[in-house]
Amino acid sequence: MSDAVLACDGLRKQYGQMVAVDGIGFSIAEGETYGLLGPNGAGKTTSIAMIVGVLARDAGDVLIDGQKHDVNSVKTKSLIGYVPQEMALYPDLTARQNLRFFGRMYGLSRNDIKRKTDEVLEIIGLADRADETIGGFSGGMMRRLNIGVGLIHRPRLLILDEPTVGVDPQSRNAILDSVEQLAGEGVAVLYTTHYMEEAERLCDRVGIVDKGRMQAEGTRRELVAMVGEHDRVTLTAEGDLARAAAALREMPEARQVSHDESRIELMVPEAGVVLARALHEVTEAGVTVRSVEVREPDLEAVFLHLTGKALRD
Amino acid sequence: MKVLAIAMVNLRRVFREKTNIFFIVITPIATVLMMGLLFGGGQEVRLGVVSGPGPLAERLVKAVSEGERIRIERVGSEAELRSQIERGVIQAGLTLPANYDQELLAGRNVAVSFVARPGDPQALELGVWVRSVGGQEGALLRAARFGTAEGKGSFEQTLAAAEKATVPGIEISVRTTGKALFPAGFNSFALSAPSLMIMFMFLTSLTAAIGIIETRLLGVSRRMYSTPTPVGVLVAGESLGRILIALVQGLLVMIGSALIFGVNWGDPFAAAVLLVVFSLVGGGAALLLGSVFHVPGPAISLALLLGLGLAALGGVMVPLESFSGTMQAIAHITPHAWAYEAFAELVRHGGGVADILPQLGVLLAFAAVLFGIGMSRLRQALIH
Ligand SMILES: Nc1ncnc2c1ncn2[C@@H]1O[C@H](COP(=O)(O)OP(=O)(O)OP(=O)(O)O)[C@@H](O)[C@H]1O
Ligand SMILES: [Mg+2]
Repeated sequence: MSDAVLACDGLRKQYGQMVAVDGIGFSIAEGETYGLLGPNGAGKTTSIAMIVGVLARDAGDVLIDGQKHDVNSVKTKSLIGYVPQEMALYPDLTARQNLRFFGRMYGLSRNDIKRKTDEVLEIIGLADRADETIGGFSGGMMRRLNIGVGLIHRPRLLILDEPTVGVDPQSRNAILDSVEQLAGEGVAVLYTTHYMEEAERLCDRVGIVDKGRMQAEGTRRELVAMVGEHDRVTLTAEGDLARAAAALREMPEARQVSHDESRIELMVPEAGVVLARALHEVTEAGVTVRSVEVREPDLEAVFLHLTGKALRD
Repeated sequence: MKVLAIAMVNLRRVFREKTNIFFIVITPIATVLMMGLLFGGGQEVRLGVVSGPGPLAERLVKAVSEGERIRIERVGSEAELRSQIERGVIQAGLTLPANYDQELLAGRNVAVSFVARPGDPQALELGVWVRSVGGQEGALLRAARFGTAEGKGSFEQTLAAAEKATVPGIEISVRTTGKALFPAGFNSFALSAPSLMIMFMFLTSLTAAIGIIETRLLGVSRRMYSTPTPVGVLVAGESLGRILIALVQGLLVMIGSALIFGVNWGDPFAAAVLLVVFSLVGGGAALLLGSVFHVPGPAISLALLLGLGLAALGGVMVPLESFSGTMQAIAHITPHAWAYEAFAELVRHGGGVADILPQLGVLLAFAAVLFGIGMSRLRQALIH
């Protein structure tokens, strides 16, 4: 994993008797988006704080672009864009003043600050409200600015801690689009969220965290396979559906085949592999298929399986 | 220059708030104005007088009015006189009976009463003066009466003769030693301006500490720490922010009181040095307060308590000179007392930097200790 933008291992943080993070490790490559999923209090924010280098860790290692990184690493900090869970902004300054201030904190030159500020304001769609005090901004606008500040210096690694909480659907879409675009440009992204559909849409790989530990990790499909979840296939058809269902039951991969007057439902491990054969069997049985719907198992199900909890309380 | 960027963002946040401008700039100058007017008019003492008509009554009042810094206020009745004294409109009162002249001319004794509030030092001083004037006046009247009784002429004639005669008596000469605490003819605004400036600067610094707590609560501190900025720079920036807030306020009060009220702050260089050093003390205290508390509520209470309490203890509310010996010693545990002394030296006695070196040293020590503890606490608070 020497080409990883972020590699962390064995992260640990204890508050009194409570172990908030207990041996978490993962890595993210260039252009990859990694999702950290976990219920409230799982230790996501604490892990992120140690990775960013704003919280001293009790144990573990963090490498940014192959270089050792901790709270005192000024050089590697310039590679990270950090978007905290809270609106870490000066409420009594304008959007532009906030961006400029953090531009200075990242050590950008005067010209760069000016250029990047305009650029970021454009990306987050706040160019026309740039000189308003942000105290009067809506939740969505605040969130977008919160993200914008993390982009001001073109980071190699962008870390977003629940960036879409309390955001309207339109702003959320804009945020997800920007993240996808940045990843497309080669930025490594670490993303935590409570929203399963965001993780499904954005993340190449996902780590599921609970009680400070990494419970499982992999691509969505790997995770789903790990817990033995199946694709649900629904066929809308005409003809002798009972006979078609009987034929499907003969297939070794098919599970839980059921039917009514207009539909047949069944579970298969991987629809892409089995579907053609299933359709063939059904047609052989003299049934005309009008439509096919495949619902892949989702992370919600995996999550429930692994932690016994719903993702949102 | 990130230190400066952090400091300036603090300054900008404080001064873009209109109520802050009111409290930081307008309030201190208005207070200087108020205190100046209260003790103003060259420290004149007002003596209320109730008297009937008659040349003899007028003689006595005129003699009393010739004392230094005494202003006579005519009052209609004794009841009103008492009420005005109680309300502090006048410092003391003198009541002559309505038939003062008739009684004296008829050769009878008259009682003149002097009324004052208990424990008022100005009134006490005034009482001494009135008694001595009364004594002299009484001696003349007795001499005149004696002459009349001996058949040497009318009362008017013998009184005039008694005035002209040089009767041997005791003369008390009064001299002073040491420097006057308050030089004569001293601008009354200059008396209160340094004290008020010290009090307000420290109070402002402490309340500005809330900014540090807010910044931490908002997560802005942590975010700043995620940027390639060493923690020392962050702490230095926050500290400089507090120092600048105190300094700007001090400077505005200094310049404002000089321009508006003609306060002479003495040697400009020494005054500037003292101002900067006291800003350091205020900034250090702010840093410590801002790093110890996690929420603004209790910090605000403590800021007000310390801001006013230390001012009172340090002799900038009630002049340090009026403290007893023990209290003066205790006052010197506050930076206020040291700053007060140093400003007194500059403003009243025309001293320079060399004359206030001990005070500057002590104030710098205060600043060093406060910054030392505050910086390490804030550093801890940031990364754990
Ligand atoms: N400074 C602290 N002192 C004590 N306990 C803490 C501290 N910070 C976090 N914790 C505890 O550590 C655990 C992990 O918290 P963390 O904020 O990392 O969770 P999270 O996964 O980000 O949760 P959420 O989804 O609610 O943001 C929680 O039980 C929390 O109460
Ligand atoms: Mg969190």
